[in-house]
Amino acid sequence: MSTNTIPLELTRKDFVSDQTVRWCPGCGDYAILAQMQKTLPELGIPREKIVFISGIGCSSRFPYYMNTYGIHSIHGRAPTLATGLAVTNPDLSIWVITGDGDGLSIGGNHLLHVMRRNVNLNIILFNNRVYGLTKGQYSPTSRKGFKTKSSPMGTIEQPINPVAIALASEATFVARSIDSHTQHLGEVLAAAAAHKGVSFVEVYQNCVIFNPDEWGPLEDRRERDDHMIYLEHGKPMVFGRNRDKGVRLNERFEPEVVQLGEQYTVDDLIVYDARSKALAMMISSMEHPYFPTPMGVIRQVSAPNYTEGLMAQIEAAQAQKGKGDLHKLYRAADLWEVK
Amino acid sequence: MSKELLKGNIAIAEAAVRAGCEAYFGYPITPQTELLEHMSSRMLELGRVFLQSESEVAAINMVYGAASAGARAMTSSSSPGISLMQEGLSYIVGSEVPAVIVDVVRGGPGLGNIQPSQGDYNQLVKSAGHGDYHPIVLAPANIQEAIDLTVLAFDLADVYRTLVFVVADGTLGQMMEPAELPPMRALRPRPEWALTGKGERPQNIISSIYLSADLLEAFNQKLQAKLALIAQREVRYEAYQLEDAEYVVVAFGTVGRIAKTAVQNLRRQGIAVGLFRPITLWPFPEKQLSELADSGRIKAFLVTEMNAGQMLQDVRLAVGRDVPVHFYGRMGGVVPMPEEIETALAELVNGNGRLPKTILEGKNGHPTR
Repeated sequence: MSTNTIPLELTRKDFVSDQTVRWCPGCGDYAILAQMQKTLPELGIPREKIVFISGIGCSSRFPYYMNTYGIHSIHGRAPTLATGLAVTNPDLSIWVITGDGDGLSIGGNHLLHVMRRNVNLNIILFNNRVYGLTKGQYSPTSRKGFKTKSSPMGTIEQPINPVAIALASEATFVARSIDSHTQHLGEVLAAAAAHKGVSFVEVYQNCVIFNPDEWGPLEDRRERDDHMIYLEHGKPMVFGRNRDKGVRLNERFEPEVVQLGEQYTVDDLIVYDARSKALAMMISSMEHPYFPTPMGVIRQVSAPNYTEGLMAQIEAAQAQKGKGDLHKLYRAADLWEVK
Repeated sequence: MSKELLKGNIAIAEAAVRAGCEAYFGYPITPQTELLEHMSSRMLELGRVFLQSESEVAAINMVYGAASAGARAMTSSSSPGISLMQEGLSYIVGSEVPAVIVDVVRGGPGLGNIQPSQGDYNQLVKSAGHGDYHPIVLAPANIQEAIDLTVLAFDLADVYRTLVFVVADGTLGQMMEPAELPPMRALRPRPEWALTGKGERPQNIISSIYLSADLLEAFNQKLQAKLALIAQREVRYEAYQLEDAEYVVVAFGTVGRIAKTAVQNLRRQGIAVGLFRPITLWPFPEKQLSELADSGRIKAFLVTEMNAGQMLQDVRLAVGRDVPVHFYGRMGGVVPMPEEIETALAELVNGNGRLPKTILEGKNGHPTR
């Protein structure tokens, strides 16, 4: 039996919970929360079908502030809880909220597997390149040489590139945005939500207390367009405040920033193709300050998600063997009568 | 040497350094993180190893690796982090490599909170990994004792080639008080069983696997004999005003210290109370408590903990049925005031060894038995 329901017109306010938001004043998390609350009403998904699942860390307080279902789960394990939820209730819109510590340190393993399985959910990884909740130790994405309370001489570890990890894990949707560019962030969140299968979004987030200078000019509204490149599928890779720079593939098959003008024109630039993994891999290696930081949808391909695969196997199994009959199965085993 | 004003976490870290800890591995978790932070600067300047691991699972197995190389190795964490280490703990004991772990206990279950608790008693004493063993568990009640027991932990780990826990709660980790640090010890040489390069000696293999049932049984018998030896030789406890006590409060760690104040206050009123404070939670001072119960003088025991009564079971096993053993506790996150313990103890005295209904019914919702 189905019940006809009239979809409610939801607004941003409907997604604001009654909890007092407890992040440090000026934290980038506020902007991400606000964008999420603004984006969700546009998706037309009823609130009772939405779940936010987090692990442990500053970002993981997110579910308290969303007026949806939510789970504040175990450090690093949110992808596994989300997988369990997604396969048992495929109707849900599931959002995993994690950070560079939660998702890439203790939860690194789970993050790989939820992505390679293409579980139908959205992962938002807040990357501030520091542990905030434990008050300022280096994280797996911290720059080499970063001095913190647990790396007084600077960290000697090579940082992880979250986007490259997502691509290597065969995520079908990979994107990046930044807390301070709220319009861009909103668009990316909406695109992630619209994608069927796993969506991975890295959000550069500013920890004003323990790593305030991490993103430098990327956080500056006046300067950022000279330091970011907004990827658009099927469009040449042009960037800059005056749209006068671009990225071309040079003779060594490496990306190269060029000034548009006499020597190079738009026709010399890479035309971005979000379906190309090779291109996405190359783009993921472009890092500030040597390159403009790629923002937007880096990869988007269509593939059956995990639940669809599982359902297809169930159908195939039942087509071959008929619907499961426990009694029949039991009787089919080797049986003895004990006299 | 003289006393300095020290924060618990940092005092423990520095004690470990001075006891000759050569390698520290850990992951930040409140209320223990200062220990890791102290190690991050201190170990490097001494030419020793500090590594911030990607998780507690990684940390304990890094300890396992470093200890297998014969280095004095340690990690520190807080309750949920210790739970994550369970697998490594068991393999360390099964491989007979020494390791020291500091647990600055916080409230549970699950995420709980970051407030002080003693909810890890069972986790450490009864179930620190699968298999038949107990780690040695040392429970300091003040910062001086935390320092001394940390040094002892490394020695016991070496002597018995086993796992030793130092269990502090969040109060001890975060509080400051004057204490004296030990002198810096020279690093001890790598033991002969360690993986130091075969050379001319027979090959050393570190493993906990015994595929043959007979070999595993033989190993477990050897392990049990070792545990029996530890139980016989390493029991430590504090007996305070027990000589003539008729009522005894049993408490460990921070609560032991609070209970001492309660005992002092009641003594001033001429009431014959005393404190029995286990310092080794394993081996548990079972015999000593049992003898105390058998003295015929004790009218009742009051166990008090910052949990729902975990050590209580061990006290009851030791005391037996002839003397009543009651419980008054506060759940993790709330540290009991001396007056609370004093009231419960006074009620026990007034009730001639029975707790009155008002307390037993838990009028404040606090666990009592």
